Amino acid sequence: MKLLKLEFLKLKKKSRSWLGPILVFWLIMIAYPLTVELLPEKLEVGFFSVLWIATLISMMLAAEDIFLEDFNDGSLEQTMIKTTSFASLISIKVFIYWLLIGIPISLLSFIFSFGTTTNFVLSLMIFPLSIISSYIFLNLFVLGNALSLNKGSVLGALVTIPLALPVLIVLGKSIVAIQFNINYSGFIFLLLGCLSIIIVAVPLVVSYIIKAHLE
Amino acid sequence: MIKKFIHQFASPKTYLFQVNKFYNYIFYISISIYVLSITWGLLFVPEDFVQGNSFRIIYLHVPASFLSQSLYAAMAIASVTYLIWRVKLAAYLIIAIAPIGAMVTFIALSSGSIWGIPTWGTWWQWDARITSTLILFIMYLGLISLHGSFSNYEKADKLLSWLVIVGFVNIPIIKKSVDWWSTLHQSASITLTNKPSIDPSMLYPLIGSTIGFFGLIICLVIISSKVQIIKRESTKSWIKDYV
Amino acid sequence: MFDFAFKSIEEAIYMNGHGIYVWIVVTIVIVCLISAFGHYKIKLRELKKKFNESD
Repeated sequence: MKLLKLEFLKLKKKSRSWLGPILVFWLIMIAYPLTVELLPEKLEVGFFSVLWIATLISMMLAAEDIFLEDFNDGSLEQTMIKTTSFASLISIKVFIYWLLIGIPISLLSFIFSFGTTTNFVLSLMIFPLSIISSYIFLNLFVLGNALSLNKGSVLGALVTIPLALPVLIVLGKSIVAIQFNINYSGFIFLLLGCLSIIIVAVPLVVSYIIKAHLE
Repeated sequence: MIKKFIHQFASPKTYLFQVNKFYNYIFYISISIYVLSITWGLLFVPEDFVQGNSFRIIYLHVPASFLSQSLYAAMAIASVTYLIWRVKLAAYLIIAIAPIGAMVTFIALSSGSIWGIPTWGTWWQWDARITSTLILFIMYLGLISLHGSFSNYEKADKLLSWLVIVGFVNIPIIKKSVDWWSTLHQSASITLTNKPSIDPSMLYPLIGSTIGFFGLIICLVIISSKVQIIKRESTKSWIKDYV
Repeated sequence: MFDFAFKSIEEAIYMNGHGIYVWIVVTIVIVCLISAFGHYKIKLRELKKKFNESD
């Protein structure tokens, strides 16, 4: 609990780290209608693809400096030596990032999809999808950034985007499922299943990777 | 026991000297098998009833696409060996295989898309297997760039093997999900469990070209691992004897 | 099974219009293999040379 609060305060102070990704998401969602003809049906065609890609990109930015500062000032090394379970510390860190970045983005995606489709139920169904997928993306990009650590986030993104592609496919399919009113809860459970595996596996792997960096 | 065995026989020194003995045999045998079966396939096998002569690309495409995945699996095995038993040779093999895997995947992709022009009427389709091969190609490039960005080789090896393992777990997931997303590609003609669905006269050169290509790629892996070993073990005294 | 599948060499090159695809693929494979072997052979030679010079 103490750790949770500490990480929360640490992230809250770095407003660039949490506000930046949200603003980028916002900008992409505003830029999208400007590039297409302003007819409601034309807007709707590509809207959800842009929404998922915007989520992906803002999560990529969110994970950009999750370890960098701690690594540079040496506190990452200290906590690794001090705490018995380094992996759980990482999962707390990821959770805080998701709380401050992923949840606002999910809210925004609800607002934007309601604005574009004017379909309240559909937008409400988008919300949990967005919440879960942003957590999955964040975990994956944290993995990538742990690999590249001090070599810039582009490398981390390059190695993790292939991992995120199946999630994008599931998201695309689930939009189709919502529109035809079939098996929506199945998709939610599928994503939740992925998330529950990733939530356990990624912090473990990341802790080994960071140990390799610090050795 | 296993650890001792592996450490004894997988030292770069023994590997280098042992491999040198076999290299020439493997190279000449596999290149002759490959050239023979390719000529057989390209010029002597009767024309395919449905696809016409363009089906002859199968003799170049199938070995490459088969190996593009096998090489990744080989890297994954090497990664596990490296992370568990700290076998240095395994680390050299991972980075030796990665560029070759990328090349083989490139051959599979380009030959497949050229084959698509006469048979499907389009050079690119967002079809399941093509897309997953493209993703595999990107993954290979990612591995190479990850290893290249660290000047500390040991660190790079460890990170690389973690990424290889994570990617290996992800490959079946990518395949399944992409399959689900769309499919157009003919299902695999040869599987280990079912009887092959192509004519024996077309099958034998295919087996031959796969074996030959496999041998050639092994030779490539051997040379590239030699380069790695000499580069990384240059401070050891036995290297002098070898060079 | 071992009969020549075409009537003449020209026909074998043309392959009813499919020849261009087949031979492009053959070229790609050959170029890739030769350049890969060449690349590693040259690298190996360079390394050995460097090693011998540093002695």
